[in-house]
Amino acid sequence: MSLKGKLSPLGAVLLVLAAMLVGSALLCGTLNADRHALAFGESSQAVDRANAEFERALIAVREAEAAGADRERIAALVERLNFVLGRIDEAEHLLLQGNITDADAIAQQTIDDSTGIALEAIELYDEASLKTYYEKIFTFGMAPVASLLVTVGVHYGWKFWRRHEVDRMMRMKIKKVKEPEEEE
Amino acid sequence: MRRLSEDMKRAAVIFISATIIFSALVYVAVTPRPKEQFFQIYVLGETRMAERYYPDDNPNIPVGRLVQWYLGTTNFMGSVQYLVIKVKLGNSTIKAPDDINYIPSPAPVLLELKKVLMDNETWEFPFAWIIGEIGEEGDMTYATVLVIKGKDGVEVQRGRVGALNGYNFRIIFELWTFDPVTEDLIFGWRAGGEQRAAWLQVWFNATKPQTS
Repeated sequence: MSLKGKLSPLGAVLLVLAAMLVGSALLCGTLNADRHALAFGESSQAVDRANAEFERALIAVREAEAAGADRERIAALVERLNFVLGRIDEAEHLLLQGNITDADAIAQQTIDDSTGIALEAIELYDEASLKTYYEKIFTFGMAPVASLLVTVGVHYGWKFWRRHEVDRMMRMKIKKVKEPEEEE
Repeated sequence: MRRLSEDMKRAAVIFISATIIFSALVYVAVTPRPKEQFFQIYVLGETRMAERYYPDDNPNIPVGRLVQWYLGTTNFMGSVQYLVIKVKLGNSTIKAPDDINYIPSPAPVLLELKKVLMDNETWEFPFAWIIGEIGEEGDMTYATVLVIKGKDGVEVQRGRVGALNGYNFRIIFELWTFDPVTEDLIFGWRAGGEQRAAWLQVWFNATKPQTS
């Protein structure tokens, strides 16, 4: 006995409808999962970007320090970097827990913070470089000035000593030295 | 051409000599002296001294007993450094970090502690942990170690590892730093063209809670 013979046209239509419903439900489920995966991926990218921005800010701070920036201002930037570090950790934690929205928000905030730190560090670098440059010019410029002072000092010192010696010579009197035989 | 007087000649010689001497002195004063670049890493016991690493000085740690240490590191690199202390849980068979080839231990990471440190700055913090539970499978004893946050007693991380009869577990502390050349974290640090590494480990045994 064939299956065709058993199915009424209404039954066949119902079967087709049921199949379509199941199909659409499966498709929806897959789409939702994809959307979730997409959101997770985007958030993970945000955390990656936050890490990259943090590293950029760190490098900028190190360059400012190497240029001779003030230690207190560097310390303030380092404090802010540590705050960003803590927030990135928090975002990573939330991401692992599946709290994508909050993780993404925190990551975005840290990106802004890191950008701010990097910009400030670049300004500090420019300022410190200029200051160090002028300080070096001043310090090296002092060498010929000091040499000039020494030269003038030595010159007049020499003249004074010479005059003193000449005066001493001029004041000298000829004395007759008594020979021991004459004394006897 | 008019010949220079004796005075002028003398003055010129003195001026040139003094300029050379002063320039050399300024150069020495301005140029920073190269100093040894390194990190210091240490672990202290519950008294904040290099003693009493175990409760009652007994390395057999019972389940649920809090172990309090203090972990510290100092930056002597001469610049701002970003460092990560990786805390790993191992046993006697897991490879220790390799100082010669700069290979970190393959033991599972229990916790990563990150900080940006200024030059000459020390970062010291409490590190408390307990053995949460132990399970036995044949000769192997598996210990689950929980790291506890110092202030509020909240568990921050956990890791599980097995050791023969519960003997010779170890907690390894590895120092990783951010390398500006590769722009990535490296095990140890780079100074003067060569890489160096620093790590610590403390051994312990896991024991079952005593039944009364």
